[in-house]
Amino acid sequence: MPTYLKRTFGDRAFSAITGSFFVIFTLMCAFPIYYLFINTISDNALVTAGQINLFPRGIHFDNYIALLNVSDLFDATMISIYRTVIGTSTMVLTSALVGYLVTQNKMLGRKYVYRFIIITMYFNAGLIPWYLNIMMLGLTNNFWGYIIPSVVQPFNIILVKTYIESLPKELEESAFIDGAGYFTVFRSIILPLCKPILATIAVFGAVGHWNAFIDSMILMQDTPSLHTLQHKLWIYLDTSSNLGNLMQGGSVDEAAIEAALSIRVLRITVAMVTIIPILMVYPFMQRYFQKGLMLGAVKG
Amino acid sequence: MDPYKLSTYKKSNLLMLIFRMFLALAFLTAFVPEINPARLSELMNRNASLFTSALSYSTIGERFIRALNQGWIEQAPLTIAYIGAIVTMLAIVLIAAAFCMSLGNTKLRRLCLMFSTGAGLLGVIGIVILFVAQGMFENASNPARIQPLFPVGIWVFGLVFALTIVLSIAMRFALPKRLPEAEIRINDPTSITGYFYVTKAQEDDTYNLAPKYRLFLMLLPFLVFVVLFSYLPLWGWRFAFFNYEAGFALTRDNFVGWQWFSVLVNNPAIRSNIVRVMTNTFALSGIGIATSWLPIMFAVFLSELRSNPFKRTVQTLTTIPNYISWVLVFSVAFAIFSTNGFFNWMLITLGIQEEGTNFLMDGNNMWIKMWAWGTWKGLGWGAIIYLASISSIDPQLYEAAMVDGAGRYKKMWHITVPGLLPTYFVLLLLSIANILSNGLEQYLVFENHATRSQIDVLDLYIFNLGLGTSSNIPVATLIGMLKSVISVVLLFSANRISKWVRGETII
Repeated sequence: MPTYLKRTFGDRAFSAITGSFFVIFTLMCAFPIYYLFINTISDNALVTAGQINLFPRGIHFDNYIALLNVSDLFDATMISIYRTVIGTSTMVLTSALVGYLVTQNKMLGRKYVYRFIIITMYFNAGLIPWYLNIMMLGLTNNFWGYIIPSVVQPFNIILVKTYIESLPKELEESAFIDGAGYFTVFRSIILPLCKPILATIAVFGAVGHWNAFIDSMILMQDTPSLHTLQHKLWIYLDTSSNLGNLMQGGSVDEAAIEAALSIRVLRITVAMVTIIPILMVYPFMQRYFQKGLMLGAVKG
Repeated sequence: MDPYKLSTYKKSNLLMLIFRMFLALAFLTAFVPEINPARLSELMNRNASLFTSALSYSTIGERFIRALNQGWIEQAPLTIAYIGAIVTMLAIVLIAAAFCMSLGNTKLRRLCLMFSTGAGLLGVIGIVILFVAQGMFENASNPARIQPLFPVGIWVFGLVFALTIVLSIAMRFALPKRLPEAEIRINDPTSITGYFYVTKAQEDDTYNLAPKYRLFLMLLPFLVFVVLFSYLPLWGWRFAFFNYEAGFALTRDNFVGWQWFSVLVNNPAIRSNIVRVMTNTFALSGIGIATSWLPIMFAVFLSELRSNPFKRTVQTLTTIPNYISWVLVFSVAFAIFSTNGFFNWMLITLGIQEEGTNFLMDGNNMWIKMWAWGTWKGLGWGAIIYLASISSIDPQLYEAAMVDGAGRYKKMWHITVPGLLPTYFVLLLLSIANILSNGLEQYLVFENHATRSQIDVLDLYIFNLGLGTSSNIPVATLIGMLKSVISVVLLFSANRISKWVRGETII
């Protein structure tokens, strides 16, 4: 071994110090989720007293089963799932179609139309005009208020457009020569070829939809049946709204009390239920996010 | 008309253009609230257009719940009014379809005229239904309470639909006749060759629309969404110039001009709020910008480690917090830092503290705490882009440096860090351009009466001011408007600086 590749004492010290920093920071990131998890499966009395800190004790899964009986939580979960599935699929299809169309040079005013869409990334009117606008369009207290305003995503359109432009032009041209129309070309050539980039934006879109709660809070004020899971979790956590009162007033299902869940257990279990889907799509994100980021660095 | 003449085609195109403009105007009438034919009572929302009325029943029925309970009016007139609105809107949709078809060849234009005639007839039916509903409103058991109204829109739309029918029939005679032969030569002195051919296949046999229009029409629905949800909110800035309260209309009476601007400057309560909010905003953004080199450190040191599985594990686990929402971050904070949480247990076990306290209700050092949460959530994620850049640095540079006797730190400082600076520069400029936008969610979830004074950033202030219990929509709109304008100016300045320094733009 040549001398310059030998590990000196300095090298070892460097590895030890930086390595331990990364171990600590990684633990700080991962431990809270483990902590939430052990608190949902441990004995509820111990959890309420704050006795479960490093290892679970008295393991049981009744808390998750008890949550199934809380009807408003079940509804909120369904709303979250619906908006994630419908919102993501419409957004992905829209991004694909618009991204394809703006690559077509024959379009009337293609360049201006593209700029017209993209420039909306750089300004916004502000929260209040946005809310009043959606209210006047009749989308408040309406499930479609989750979906329609976020269908056209300029950034995703840039990603798809850049991706399509990197594909060989000949594929499209030969299809046109064979008599295919624009829509046929889109459906049978562009869409299959774009799968990687569409998967990337789908994963990010789905996480965005699942995590969104401001829109549920602002737009669905008067319709508790349309609140998303994140919003419900926030209502449970909010220190200014006393959960006990909510339970008495009927805003929160009383089944929660019957299941003898303490407020702490309820909060932590709901949080865990909300995190689980993210952990489930996380491996896919790992596969795609680097690609998405690198593409994001490319300008439209 | 002689089908063999150029003038026939020109005249037909011109008439079609005029007809098309009429169709466009007819289509736009559905979006003007002042002439909504479905607004049959003073109780109905003054700001709703026909489009909105047809889209959701609530714009028609929402304020009649009491009237229905008291028996002042039956459900039937409301339902009939809603059906009328839907039928009228369907006619408008048909008009939009006819508009698109009018861009095509002669055969498609014939179909266009059939559609527009049908639209006119359907529209007349819709207006008649609304007329009937209006009569039922007049004859309700307690007209004084439901305040029936004869909307001017019924006349306007009746006229529009009648005109549509008449014009559609008239346009039928303006279209070129069917071509008698497969191909006809038409003399055109203006073109280079002096003539052009019109073929039966082009004009009469198949529906045909030029690609430029076809592509544009495929995109049009999405452009409508862009206009509705990105450009139309800008029109909402007008609320800053009115004395607006929820549920009331904007009229000449409550137009106040620049009054809210002077309130913003002269009202001591609002002014002191703004000073506090801006202090928080700049402090939190400033801390963020001052520590924006942390992800670089993270990436540089992580890439120096040898074990690949270790690196991958660190990368995977430190990005998890980025994907969970701020509500979930708060639930983590609740689990760890509340009275019975992990952090108190640790302090008690280590003997630092006797009893647990709720750290979430502790309002000291909130700037640092907010920065810490932001870093916890974003550090691993922020490092990824730098890790990707590091892997694209040419390994020959390292080898050459090693031959020249550079050690680990020299290589890090003179090769890796300079390789990351261009990316860092772009992100830094963007974060400076976003200095006013701290985001809403983080501060919303951590806000309570103890933390409020240090946590109230501009986004949160606008949220509370506009949608809180004592809402002041005009001032909230005004502040949001100023924020947007300043942000755009900052962004373009950052872009200009980038162009000047690096020769490349960032947007």
